Amino acid sequence: MTFVDSLRARTEGRRAKLTIVALFAALFLYPVILPFAVYEQGVLLLAFLTALMAVSWNIISGFAGYVSLGHSVFLGLGAYTGGLLAESYQVNPLWFMPVGGVVAFVAAALVGMVVLRARGHAFVIITIALLLSMQVLVTNFSGLTNGSNGVNVPLPFWSSDYQNMPFYYIFLVLLLATVAFAAWIRRTKFGTGLLAIREDEDKAAAIGVNTTRYKVLAYAVSALPIGVAGVVYAYFLSFLNPIGAFALLTSVTIVLSALAGGRGTLWGPVLGGFVVSIVSEVANVYGGGSQSRLLVLGLALVLVVLFLPQGILPAVAARLASRRAAKQTVEYTDQAGVAAARTSIVVTPRSAPAAERKAAPLLEIRGAAKSFGGLRAVDGVDLTVEAGSITALIGPNGSGKTTLFNLVTGAMPLGSGEIWFDGTRIDRMPPWERAHLGLGRTFQITRLFKSMTVLENVVAPLPTASWSLMAKDAVSGHEAERARELLDFVGLGRFGSQQAGALSYGQQKLVELAQVLMLEPKMILLDEPAGGINPTLVNRMVEIIRDLNRQGIAFLVVEHNIPLVLDLCDPVAVLSRGKVIAQGPPSIVRADPLVLEAYLGPEWLPAEPVPDAVLDQAALSAKGH
Amino acid sequence: MTQLVQALVLGLLIGGVYALMASGLTLIFGVMNIINVAHGALLILVAFITWKIWSLSGIDPILLSVVMTPLMFGFGWLLYKGVLSRISGSSPGMSVLLTFGIAITIEGVLNVTAGNRFRSATPSYFSQSFRVLGISLPKAQVFGCLAAVLVLGLLFVVLSKTWTGRAIRATAQNASGAALVGIQSAGVAALAFAIGTATTGVGGSILSVLYPFFPASHYDWISRLLGIIVLGGMGSLAGALVGALILGLAETLTATYVSLQWSTLIFYAVIMLVLLFRPQGLFGSRLRQDVMA
Repeated sequence: MTFVDSLRARTEGRRAKLTIVALFAALFLYPVILPFAVYEQGVLLLAFLTALMAVSWNIISGFAGYVSLGHSVFLGLGAYTGGLLAESYQVNPLWFMPVGGVVAFVAAALVGMVVLRARGHAFVIITIALLLSMQVLVTNFSGLTNGSNGVNVPLPFWSSDYQNMPFYYIFLVLLLATVAFAAWIRRTKFGTGLLAIREDEDKAAAIGVNTTRYKVLAYAVSALPIGVAGVVYAYFLSFLNPIGAFALLTSVTIVLSALAGGRGTLWGPVLGGFVVSIVSEVANVYGGGSQSRLLVLGLALVLVVLFLPQGILPAVAARLASRRAAKQTVEYTDQAGVAAARTSIVVTPRSAPAAERKAAPLLEIRGAAKSFGGLRAVDGVDLTVEAGSITALIGPNGSGKTTLFNLVTGAMPLGSGEIWFDGTRIDRMPPWERAHLGLGRTFQITRLFKSMTVLENVVAPLPTASWSLMAKDAVSGHEAERARELLDFVGLGRFGSQQAGALSYGQQKLVELAQVLMLEPKMILLDEPAGGINPTLVNRMVEIIRDLNRQGIAFLVVEHNIPLVLDLCDPVAVLSRGKVIAQGPPSIVRADPLVLEAYLGPEWLPAEPVPDAVLDQAALSAKGH
Repeated sequence: MTQLVQALVLGLLIGGVYALMASGLTLIFGVMNIINVAHGALLILVAFITWKIWSLSGIDPILLSVVMTPLMFGFGWLLYKGVLSRISGSSPGMSVLLTFGIAITIEGVLNVTAGNRFRSATPSYFSQSFRVLGISLPKAQVFGCLAAVLVLGLLFVVLSKTWTGRAIRATAQNASGAALVGIQSAGVAALAFAIGTATTGVGGSILSVLYPFFPASHYDWISRLLGIIVLGGMGSLAGALVGALILGLAETLTATYVSLQWSTLIFYAVIMLVLLFRPQGLFGSRLRQDVMA
């Protein structure tokens, strides 16, 4: 991006900001200028509420990607909390706004702890079930809730001359507070982690993101503003019943608003909330009453999913960007720039320097086994990696190398055996705890979060489980500074604001390495670091590995480029059919008859020491692609 | 004692009907990996049409499933080809939003055309019962369960004995593997969706007699069916069968010994408990995920 372009982008950003400020200023002044537009105020305040709920929904379903179809349950919870407390104490319900928020937060956290441990479809099912079961529960516990007869909430304390004007302002302020809250979350490492979960949950876990905690917290946090607003909503309605408070129609409106405006964006749900509320009001007035409203909303939802899945705001932004890109010269990422980068970096691994280290190995795998049905992919592997070493793990395709990596990092549960890392048994830990101990990995086929920027990718990892780290700013400040340093180190500092998916494959491998370094690892598992990248980058990769190793980071490397392995690694372990068949210095292993048999088949037995060329040929054919 | 036996028998009769309704849902999930939230709405749609034809012509509602089933097969096929296939390949979140939108649309159409009030088809045998060994078996329940079991049997035969059925099961187990041995996954998905939707033709006809319904009833039904397939293991037909029987029994036992108004909560409670202790369900298996790509 040239200077002029960045200036233009900044001007555009400022223009957008000005528009938003002007719009909200107008909304603040509206009741003052037109105090008797009671109907319009009523429509607008419900639009504020809808927008507020859509912004909240967006935290779990937009940022983290877990769709909730029953989010109005928290409006009902807040409303009933405020309504019942206000009725029994005969005070104005606004005092109970924090209580409504807490009730919604806790309810979501409890449900989330049950259902969000696992991945996939359970969550969406629960969200529907939760809303419907609340209807039944509130109806059935009639002693507390007065059942289907409903609850009368005290009437507003202000003079009826003001009509709904106070509600108008309360909802407007709550909406702005919710947007600010969501914007803050998006800026933190917590927010970056949520996006990471949406993009690739396994990968997120591998870089230290405690995915369970993140998801549960995101769900609870997305319930909080709605619970607060629910209390005000009860006051506004002045009467509650189970079907009205836990309304499915409200959930549909929330989902449609966020989706139409732009799921995952900050202002999209606000825009969507306004558009959907006003369109649905218009449909109500001119389109034959509330009977047809459901039909309109349902059709709109289907059409948006089919034809505008990314939403209005991103669609408009893409249109603007493409217009700008047409004027802009395309800048290709230069390999030479990467290769020329020679900056070194202090990585401060959390282990002591080589000289002071105790004799125990850093990683010790004892009798590790893993079966898939009848296939024993890993069959009793014993393997140690000494601190400070660069250990290679080689073997023909299908010999179990990547599976072994998955067992060590916790991407798969171990069948039997033990894995110890730095004096701790890790084989029962979730992946993020292993990452927090200082165990990092890269993937055979790079797994960056493609729709996030390169910088966000590198900021996302969490070296510790601390809560305060999650709240740290990911866009500026110390964390982002560190990420920039690491990007400079791998030679990609200039690409920080690019989408990660736009980089070349080799550059993605380097970004993935920078990402792992953010964990401050003691040991890194590299899965084919040189696979599929050009020779210049391979050299840079080797340099980086050596540099990091000098500073005390140990490596376990899976690689098919045998000359590179023999040059870089010592010792070398050979895996065949799920077992380690040889381990030792490169010169010994390369002449081992068992190794040759594994690579070349049983008919081929050497009488003489093996020439290099044959071994390289063997490696190439074993690679199989 | 009689009361217990009565409750158990009723539970099994209802469970049979649930099994049929859930089989379509679990089949669609297994093959396409989407939760068809519109399944409940389709049931209610069929129930409405059945009720309408019955009230105009007096033809037996359960017998009408002979017509409704092929109709719904065609409707399902069209729905897949016209709507769902357009988003194949996008995230599962989008497919759930799409089927949610379809469900709301169907509810909206029923609201506008039929009005928001309870209906129920009441053929002549509606309030009659068979009496066997001191237990009374409502005729409607017996006929409904018989029809359901008949169709379920047919479904099992199709899935296990025909090439098409094997193709569907193969795709459900491993879509890319099935594609490699020459099974066209788009075609199989359309077929599975059509068959899954066809089961609502029978299920909805039975529903119109056994339960009063109104447009928004579909939420209640989709929750029950989701409860069943979560318990059985998402995507497993045998699991849906067992889950349906267990939940049918649990529901009638709660209605008999606790109260009717708590019985619907059983389904939600079961969903929570299963997810807490056995997230893959009774019959679900956890297959290797890392080599799918």
